[in-house]
Amino acid sequence: MMINSILLIDDEDLFHLVFEDACSILDITLSLEALDSSDEADKKFKEWFPDDPNDEKPECVFVDLNIIGSSFDGIEMIRKINFEYGNGCVIGIISSSDDKQEIEKAKKSGAQFWIIKSDDIEPRLEEFKEDYEGYKDKTNPFKIYR
Amino acid sequence: MISSKDTVKEAILKAKAKKVYIEGNFVKLFADTSDAAVKEYIEECKRKDIASRRKRLQITKQVQKQNKELEEAAVIKEALVIELQNALDQAKQLRDEAVEDLEVMQKRTQFELIGTIVKVALWVIIGVGVLTTLMYAWAITSGTDTQIIGSTWSNMFGILLTNAFSIVGTIMGVKYATDKD
Repeated sequence: MMINSILLIDDEDLFHLVFEDACSILDITLSLEALDSSDEADKKFKEWFPDDPNDEKPECVFVDLNIIGSSFDGIEMIRKINFEYGNGCVIGIISSSDDKQEIEKAKKSGAQFWIIKSDDIEPRLEEFKEDYEGYKDKTNPFKIYR
Repeated sequence: MISSKDTVKEAILKAKAKKVYIEGNFVKLFADTSDAAVKEYIEECKRKDIASRRKRLQITKQVQKQNKELEEAAVIKEALVIELQNALDQAKQLRDEAVEDLEVMQKRTQFELIGTIVKVALWVIIGVGVLTTLMYAWAITSGTDTQIIGSTWSNMFGILLTNAFSIVGTIMGVKYATDKD
C-alpha cells in the first residue's frame, strides 16, 4: 500500500535526499515534502487546522527527535500535532537515538512508531510500509524499528 | 518536439524516439497499459529512475558518512586544542614558579654571604677591641707612658662601637630578609 503524502521534519538536508530516494525506490509514497525546522512545520499545521480545504495535510509525518535551529524538539511537535492540531495523521519519530526515556516520552505524546536512523534505512522503511495499514486504522501498537 | 495538442501516447512515443526518459514519481502515475510501445517506455523509465536513485542514494550516504567523520574529527581536534592550551598554561605556571624560586635562592645566597662577611667583621672588631683594651690595661698596670695608647684606645673604641652598631643593624636586616623569603 502506498502512502498518499509524507511530511518529513528533519534539520539534516542530506537525510532529506536519503529519505526521498529510499521512499521512491521502495514505492512508499508519490508525494513527499521535507522541512528542516519544527517551527516551519508548526506554521503549516496551523494553516491546515481546523479545516484543510485543499486537502494538503500529509497522511503520514516523520519527525526527527532533535531538530537543530528549531524552537522545540520532535516530541513536542508530535504533542502539538496530536493535541493542538486535531491529530488526523500517522505520526512518529525518525532519529539516530534509541534513548529509552525519549522513546517513553514520544509514546506519551502520541507517537505511533520510532524508526532508528542508520546507514541502512531501507529495510526499516520497508517494514514500516508493511505495517502502515495498522497505523492508519490505529490498530498497531507502538513499534520501534531497529 | 512535444506539443500541448499531442495525446499522452504521442508525447510518450516522441520522448521514446528522442531517448528522453521521465524521472521521479511522475512515472509512477501512469496506469498499466496494454500498448506494448508505451508499456516498454514506462518500464524503461522506471528502471532508469530506480537505477539513478540507487546511485544517488549511495553517494548521499557516503557524503553523510564523511560529514559525520568530519564532525567527529572536529570534536577530537577541539578537545586536543583545549588539552594543549591547558598544558601550555601549566608549563607557563611552572616556569614562573621556577624563575621565582631561582630569584629567592639567589637572594638567600647573597644574604647568607653578607651575613658571613658581617659576622667575620664583628669578630674582627671585637678582637681588635679586646686586644687594644688589654694593651691599654697592661700599659696602665706596668707604669709606662699611656698617653699614645690611651688616645688610640679611645679613638679606636669610638670607631669600633660605631661600626659594631652598624654591623649589628646589618645582621638584623639580613636575618629579617632571609626569614621573610
